[in-house]
Amino acid sequence: MITLVTGGSKCGKSAIAEKIACGFSGKKFYIATMKPYGKDAFQAIERHRKMRCGKGFETLEKFTDVNEIVVPKKSSVLLECVGNLCANEMFTENGIFNPVEKVTDGIKYLCETAEAVTIVTNEIGSDGFSYSCEIEKYIEYMNRINHGIYIFSDNVIECIYGIPIILKGELPC
Amino acid sequence: MKFIVGGAFQGKTEFAVKNFGISEAEITDVGKCSVNQFSEFTNVKNYHIFIRTLMDMKIDPIEFTNVICEKKSDMVIIMNEVGCGIIPMDEKERKWREICGKCGCIIAENSEIVVRVICGIGTVIKGDNACL
Repeated sequence: MITLVTGGSKCGKSAIAEKIACGFSGKKFYIATMKPYGKDAFQAIERHRKMRCGKGFETLEKFTDVNEIVVPKKSSVLLECVGNLCANEMFTENGIFNPVEKVTDGIKYLCETAEAVTIVTNEIGSDGFSYSCEIEKYIEYMNRINHGIYIFSDNVIECIYGIPIILKGELPC
Repeated sequence: MKFIVGGAFQGKTEFAVKNFGISEAEITDVGKCSVNQFSEFTNVKNYHIFIRTLMDMKIDPIEFTNVICEKKSDMVIIMNEVGCGIIPMDEKERKWREICGKCGCIIAENSEIVVRVICGIGTVIKGDNACL
């Protein structure tokens, strides 16, 4: 069962995604993709850690190369989030210019491995501002990755201020 | 409480007027008023901008929103969705956007009906269509 959870900033995506991932029996893994740089990152990591505390997730850190993740077959994986994966692939030393195929295929491979995968992504294309060429590319690539994941997902849920909206499939919790 | 969300200029206020039996004059633009006046209002719009005013006054918007939800349970609140973009470089802007998300979740949780408006079309995303 593959579920994509999307939405804007701080709109309750993580809480819904966690609930979905917890609905499966078997071992639970949390793929942490945020590089711990800067005050904001530390705060976000700490907040998410507290949210997951006591829910039985084993945390695996993976900032790039999501295809390398190895989990047991009967497991539920919560991957958070596609925005970090895409940025990490593009904007780090030896980064790649276009990570669409790598990230999409990597997540698809993970989905073929685990029994349930819940993926958190972000809606980043609606603020109407113009950005530098690099950031414009990031917005384009992120949305292309989202499209790719949507195709092989069983469920796609948009989160609006904490309210889950079913865009594809059903809400599996 | 009734909560209307959506992007800028999507027809949120018009939707409220048409469906909630209130006039436009009964919906106060809190983007342009001070914090002290808030308790006098029956319905408000631009709550996302009001959050900025609260932050400037060093008032915790999350606490304020919780109090509103408790004391103003008949209120119609109109607020933009502001989180669907690139994370702002500026720390204050970043914080504001995050707090808007958190406050929006609190209002949605405490509302019996939540409507999202796009191109003037409202979709009930929480509660009963019959409430309209």
